[in-house]
Amino acid sequence: MSRILIDVKLRRDDFSLSCELDMPGKGVMAILGPSGSGKTTLLRLIAGLEKADQGSIRVNGHRWLDTANSECLSPQKRKVGMVFQDYALFDHLTVAQNIGYGLPRKQRKQSVKKWVGRFHLESLEHRYPNELSGGQRQRVALARALAPEPDILLLDEPFSAVDVPLREKLRIQLQEIVSTLDQPVMMVTHDLEEARYLADHIAVMVNGQVCRHGFTNKVFNDPGSYEVAKILGWRNFIQVKSICPDSVAGDWGELVLDREISPNTDWLAIRPYHIRIANESQDGIDAEVLQVREMGALREMECRLNDGTSLVMQSPWNDPLLAPGSRIRLNLPLQHVRALFEGTAVNIVAKKKTMVIPISGIVYNSARNGAILPLEKHPSLTQERISNLTES
Amino acid sequence: MIESVNTGALDLAPVWLTLKLSAVTVAVLLVLSLPLAWWLAFTRSKFKVPVEAVTALPLVLPPTVLGFYLLVFLGPNGPAGQFWNSIAGHPLAFSFTGLVIASCLYSLPFVVQPLQAAFESLDRKAVEAAWTLGANTLRTFFTIIIPQARRGFLIAIVLGFAHTMGEFGVVLMVGGNIPDETQVVSIAIYEQVEMLNFQAAEQLSTGLLVFSFLVLVMVYSINRQWGRGLKA
Repeated sequence: MSRILIDVKLRRDDFSLSCELDMPGKGVMAILGPSGSGKTTLLRLIAGLEKADQGSIRVNGHRWLDTANSECLSPQKRKVGMVFQDYALFDHLTVAQNIGYGLPRKQRKQSVKKWVGRFHLESLEHRYPNELSGGQRQRVALARALAPEPDILLLDEPFSAVDVPLREKLRIQLQEIVSTLDQPVMMVTHDLEEARYLADHIAVMVNGQVCRHGFTNKVFNDPGSYEVAKILGWRNFIQVKSICPDSVAGDWGELVLDREISPNTDWLAIRPYHIRIANESQDGIDAEVLQVREMGALREMECRLNDGTSLVMQSPWNDPLLAPGSRIRLNLPLQHVRALFEGTAVNIVAKKKTMVIPISGIVYNSARNGAILPLEKHPSLTQERISNLTES
Repeated sequence: MIESVNTGALDLAPVWLTLKLSAVTVAVLLVLSLPLAWWLAFTRSKFKVPVEAVTALPLVLPPTVLGFYLLVFLGPNGPAGQFWNSIAGHPLAFSFTGLVIASCLYSLPFVVQPLQAAFESLDRKAVEAAWTLGANTLRTFFTIIIPQARRGFLIAIVLGFAHTMGEFGVVLMVGGNIPDETQVVSIAIYEQVEMLNFQAAEQLSTGLLVFSFLVLVMVYSINRQWGRGLKA
């Protein structure tokens, strides 16, 4: 069975981790999350360097942990290849000795030669780690981890020990390497670009829990919750106060929808490059231009909505320039608007939204206490909107 | 004249005895200190502080105090002394074995503390990396931990050796001054001076001085060369 199944729980004094993951046993999976969210701990749990209180870990059919049956393989027996954050190379051993460390004595020489060749380290075999550049150290660490042919390769923040200018080069290099691997790769990172560039799948972790995981593009495009969206680099959020089947509204105004959205929706999100300035025939939200920033090929414009929410939009540099203070209407193309719920997981969010159910057009269903109330008592509906609803 | 009587034949036995005592003491101490230093470096036990304090006691106690208690403990009427007497047929005090025990206690902090410091500054990730590469505890210890902590080991060996060579008070209390059995260089020098045999005292002193200096020079030069491989 070519899958990686993880279901572990761990509790420490000031931290708890509870994590369920089911992912394909091939390709690259990135674990994203803010620092302190438990990404590295999860990786260490998989490697066996940290002991879970309960749970199970299976990697491509091999059972590494099963607390129900008191099974827990030591790191030595798990066949993991781990590349540590600062590579943890053995400083007192040469490059060749480092790569050969995990290999049986008999096949050491031959195998080291193979990996040295594969990672273009031929001229460096007899050097010590402190005589290598950052990129070379990374290659040695990768070769050392891969030489014993592990069942899984774990990378802990593979680029954090490298200067920014070098990162891009190394990312390309690492991509070339991992794309040829038979083993699944799991990497921990807080760098969005890195995850997007390298990973087929991503899992987003917050406070010790995996909040969302799936194909990289899918998760990036539809983060599901406000918290995850923030981690994935979404910048524009509009708070939703009431939902009708055909529209959502807040203190910023109203947005007419082309489809139904979840009654759990608390926020709408949109990427800066999807926002347009509405023309006269289009729907739009009133806004005021706050600041214009030229960023080379792009121009970034920060706008303020009526409720004070700030939205950032990006447009090509040669679009007409608007002065700060101008009043505009922003068009949010519906196919690019994402509905998000507050918090990180659906089950922890009570349905607190006031749902407008225009049964008779004069009452609404308050989800707070389930009461049916006259529309006039609705917390955010304008008089104009109420009369519109009553008419329809 | 007294001086002319002894000048010709300088007795080298105390020198050999001192070297032997230092070597045996360091060897025994390394074996004993390794687990102790390891425990002190990584334990979270509430006993860590008291144990650390006890380990460091020989640093502050006058050697005569340590020697006195050891004499009571190892002497013919002491518990260890009686036990030893029943199996070996002679008391521990005033014997080479008793001297080794005393030296081990006396030099304990000089071996434990550098080892503890070396273990505390180990790169844990390198150890974990070795584990993920399949190395068991023993292999990790010999191929990763010892090489990483080699400076600590070197300092522990040198300090333990040198400190044992230079001990006087404890030896005098526990070992006395028995030629070939407990008469080490420092005692022999003291005796020669008491006998007003300054020339012999001077020869022994000079020998000790030169030897100590050479050992230290050798150690520091090795340490320097090893150090190069470690600096990032």
